[in-house]
Amino acid sequence: MTTYDERASHGGPPTRAESRAGGDLTATAERVRRSVEGVIEGKPEVVRLALTVLLAEGHLLIEDVPGVGKTMLAKALARSVDCSVRRIQFTPDLLPSDITGVSVFDQQRRDFEFKPGAIFAQIVIGDEINRASPKTQSALLESMEERQVTVDGHSYELPSPFMVVATQNPVEMEGTYPLPEAQRDRFMARVSIGYPSPEAELRMLDTHGSISPLDDMQPVAHAHEIVKLVEAVRTVHVADSVRRYAVEVVTATRHHPELRLGASPRATLHLLRAAKAAAALAGREFALPDDVQSLAVAVLAHRLLPTAQAQLSRRTSEQVVHDILQRTPVPDPFGHQPPGARRL
Amino acid sequence: MSGSARLAICAVVATLGATCALLPLVDRTTWIVQAALLLSVQAAVGALARRIPLAAPVTVAAQVLAAVLMLTLVFAGGQAVGGVLPGPAVFREFAQLLQEGADDVGRYAIPAPATPAIRLLLVGGVLLVGLAVDALAVTYRTAAPAGLPLLALYSVGAGLSHGGGDWLWFLAAASGYLLLLLAEGRDRLSRWGRVFGGGTRADSAGVLAAGGPALAPVRTGRRIGALALGIALLAPAVLPSISGGLLGPRGEGEGAGDDGGTISAVNPLVSLQNSLNQPENREVMRYRTSAESAQDMYLRIVALDRFDGASWRASERRVTDVPEPLPTPTGLMPGVRTDPVNTSVSAASGYGQDYLPLPYPAERVRIGGQWRYEPEGRTLVGDHGQTTRGMRYQVESLMVQPTAAQLAAAPAPPAPLLREYTQVPPSLPKSVETTARKVTAGAANAYQQAVRLQDWFSTSGGFRYDTQVQSGSGTGAIERFLEDKRGFCVHFSFSMAAMARTLGIPARVAVGFTPGTPQADGTVSVGSKDAHSWPELYFEGTGWTRFEPTPSRGSQPEYSVAPSPATTDPGVPLPLPGRSHAPTASPSTGGGCPPQLKKADGCPGTPVQADSGSSGGGPSATTVALAAGALAALVLPVLPVLWRSRIRARRLGGTGEPAQRTLAAWRELIDSAWDHGILPEESHTPRQAAARMVTAGRLEGPPAQAAERLATAVEQVLYAPQPGPSGDPAADAGTAVAGLGAAAGRWVRLRARLAPRSAARLLWAAHRRRSQAAVRLRSGRAAAAARRVARAAQALRPRGRRA
Repeated sequence: MTTYDERASHGGPPTRAESRAGGDLTATAERVRRSVEGVIEGKPEVVRLALTVLLAEGHLLIEDVPGVGKTMLAKALARSVDCSVRRIQFTPDLLPSDITGVSVFDQQRRDFEFKPGAIFAQIVIGDEINRASPKTQSALLESMEERQVTVDGHSYELPSPFMVVATQNPVEMEGTYPLPEAQRDRFMARVSIGYPSPEAELRMLDTHGSISPLDDMQPVAHAHEIVKLVEAVRTVHVADSVRRYAVEVVTATRHHPELRLGASPRATLHLLRAAKAAAALAGREFALPDDVQSLAVAVLAHRLLPTAQAQLSRRTSEQVVHDILQRTPVPDPFGHQPPGARRL
Repeated sequence: MSGSARLAICAVVATLGATCALLPLVDRTTWIVQAALLLSVQAAVGALARRIPLAAPVTVAAQVLAAVLMLTLVFAGGQAVGGVLPGPAVFREFAQLLQEGADDVGRYAIPAPATPAIRLLLVGGVLLVGLAVDALAVTYRTAAPAGLPLLALYSVGAGLSHGGGDWLWFLAAASGYLLLLLAEGRDRLSRWGRVFGGGTRADSAGVLAAGGPALAPVRTGRRIGALALGIALLAPAVLPSISGGLLGPRGEGEGAGDDGGTISAVNPLVSLQNSLNQPENREVMRYRTSAESAQDMYLRIVALDRFDGASWRASERRVTDVPEPLPTPTGLMPGVRTDPVNTSVSAASGYGQDYLPLPYPAERVRIGGQWRYEPEGRTLVGDHGQTTRGMRYQVESLMVQPTAAQLAAAPAPPAPLLREYTQVPPSLPKSVETTARKVTAGAANAYQQAVRLQDWFSTSGGFRYDTQVQSGSGTGAIERFLEDKRGFCVHFSFSMAAMARTLGIPARVAVGFTPGTPQADGTVSVGSKDAHSWPELYFEGTGWTRFEPTPSRGSQPEYSVAPSPATTDPGVPLPLPGRSHAPTASPSTGGGCPPQLKKADGCPGTPVQADSGSSGGGPSATTVALAAGALAALVLPVLPVLWRSRIRARRLGGTGEPAQRTLAAWRELIDSAWDHGILPEESHTPRQAAARMVTAGRLEGPPAQAAERLATAVEQVLYAPQPGPSGDPAADAGTAVAGLGAAAGRWVRLRARLAPRSAARLLWAAHRRRSQAAVRLRSGRAAAAARRVARAAQALRPRGRRA
């Protein structure tokens, strides 16, 4: 297990609370985004999604083949923000207490003292999370969802912002424990980085050839700026029609003939929160159906289980969500739907 | 033979089979040989094209070309380049021929003469149907729909001809079609290769061995076809409710007489006797007239102008469209006093007659329905089964009131008319003429002869009006009547007309109604007992003039009453050969009517079930429906355009809330894009819709910016807590729509304007309203049912407690 030490956060110019999602906050988010994009070449949408999840108080699951920069993305995000970061390398012998912490007897004070585990950080990078045993994986559950850790009957609050960025390798199956549905559901979004384009790969050779770009990275935002951003995201307005639209999209996954398991109500919540964050990132004070659409695949696909038949015909969850988006009508302000309009 | 060739031959045979139904329409049948020849060539061209092989549309095009060339060669060879190649002159010739053909079709009764124009219509039509059959059955391999053009061809013949032998034409047409189906089925079967079943028999085995397709199914197909044909022919004959079927006698009431039944050649053998002997006098029509006295309002149905010695009948005449106004009556000169008379007639719904009762001479007739005009008899004839049943019509007619002097001074009629209307058959007993000469002895002119004949029949001759007389038969009927001196209107009119002819006075018999009985409300009621016939004699200057020889019936016209024997003006005697003033022998023995006169059947005009007529005029329901239909046909295509422009004005010119104006402008932009072919996607958000408009509508610069600006404004309105200030949405929509129009082609622009696709919203709206109404209805029913259940439960409750 490797951990980064907690960095001391240093003060910065306070962000104007009244500016909400506009002005300085947008600028802060933009700085973080640029900083991460300097490391992850040619993947702006992935960086944007990671930032969206951070602002929406969610957790991110990065799933891809080895070597495309999963850990790099997580580290870059962590380093761009001046906050406490820990990295947990999940291995089969990792114990739950390694994550949550342990109470040890202090001889001098003659009392048990809680030694916080690796989870006590603002950004936690869980590398190759599917290598840990289910017992250890489930130790993450409470902390991810409730943002607290309970050891020996004592609950310990986790710092804010708190975000788990887990990576997973989908091809290497031997000796791994794939994340169960319940745990996948706790991640707000799943993202695949994918291979870079040849140009981006060339640029990467130039910049990453001699030194690691992470070495030069400096934090571009303070933790409390991120907290302000998160608060600003909470105030983003979501019109009734957009809420209804999100619900319709999620409901459609529960009745889709190609899906064995649809998305949970928590998914709806995550979808709407992510949409709000995306709206804030775009400098808007209100969410649009476009925000819901742009995030639906990332937020919903990893929670869905395709039927055996869909798997046989090589239909992925992502395709099904795309399909649903194309079929679900956007709320029509005129209330005029053609007869027999395609509704799910 | 290949399946395709067999199919092509069957297609030709089927077309010719259906063509046979047209044979009775034309008096000569040689055209069918020509049609068969050209059809075969056309089919051969198709077969050749398929063998090459050419694409299906090219094959059809080649056949069309071949047909045009052949028609040019046959019908317009003189105008063609090199006798074959059609130039503009050829098409002009075709157009003229077709025009003439259309006129001929209207002019001639069936069987029509085979004029070149009619031949072109027939041969061209057969080629067209043949092409359709060949294309469907052979080129596109769907034989079943080929029955439709065949049916159309057969229907033309079957619908127009009334002659016998219908079953034969049906057999020919149906066999042809079945043959075609069989050939196609066989062809399809053969593609499956050898089919087992029924192959154990030696004959089929032999054919199979020879490489032919399996024949058992083909044989079954033949049996089914023959069975179907047999049922089609026999079943209607057996079933009593279907009027006789194809093999049976023709149903009554179709206006067809036993002489071939053409429109103009109906023989209205009036069963006047039956009408007159009816126990009750049923009203057949009611009219209101402007004539001072109704006593001269004889309503004439038809003129019987052919006399064969035994009976009078109407000759076959050409009918035309009803002219407006009707031509000047034959022989009527300006010097004769004529008073215009307006009459509105309302026929009883039970009175179905295919000739229209009219006062003579009518000048204008305003009537709905399909009527044709027979100029010689000045009668209107119903076309395509049109009858007087329940008709209401207005007639402008003339009350011709010649003076006795004018009639007496009438010059000789024109020679052709004289020749035609003084014909008597040689079989007419001589006694008729001798009686006539005896009665009219001493008369100075034709007029006086006519008056004396009328007087002799009505008063001095000792004749008695009797509708119960026993009829005689044969050519001696008139002779017997002159001897018995008992009879009714038919005997009197027939005899007087015949005798006038023997005297050289052009004569014919009119059939119709006497003026009827005036009613208290000013109308005049005509009953079945008013059926009547009277002679019409021709006098140059006056035209056909009515006389009334029947005693105690009708009224004698003023000009024919009590003429002075010593006429001041002796007039000009008609220069007729063989005219003698010598008295003749008295009428020979024998009496009664020719049997045909009393035949009840074959008389379409028999007022058997005359209901009480309805009064009043006005346009008929058909006219109103036609007018409404025409109006709808004019208005319907422009409805979307009108709706669209109204909606556009309302949306862009709105003065409501800014949010409402933004949404209305957005809606207008969406619909305009739809009109330009960019279909609105229901899963698109405003900015996606705008982006699609920009890419699909090729918008650039200000229009693109306007569309995006409008989309952003819509987002603000729809999703923002407090919409920001929007610009001028109507102007943005206008700019974007103008950009769409500018980027689109001319055709798209035109279509967007004239046939806007977004007019589909009209239909949706209608559909939605209907669904909502249905839901309300259902919920209403459900609520009512629930109330009933509740009531029932309430009614049961006390009983339950008691229990």
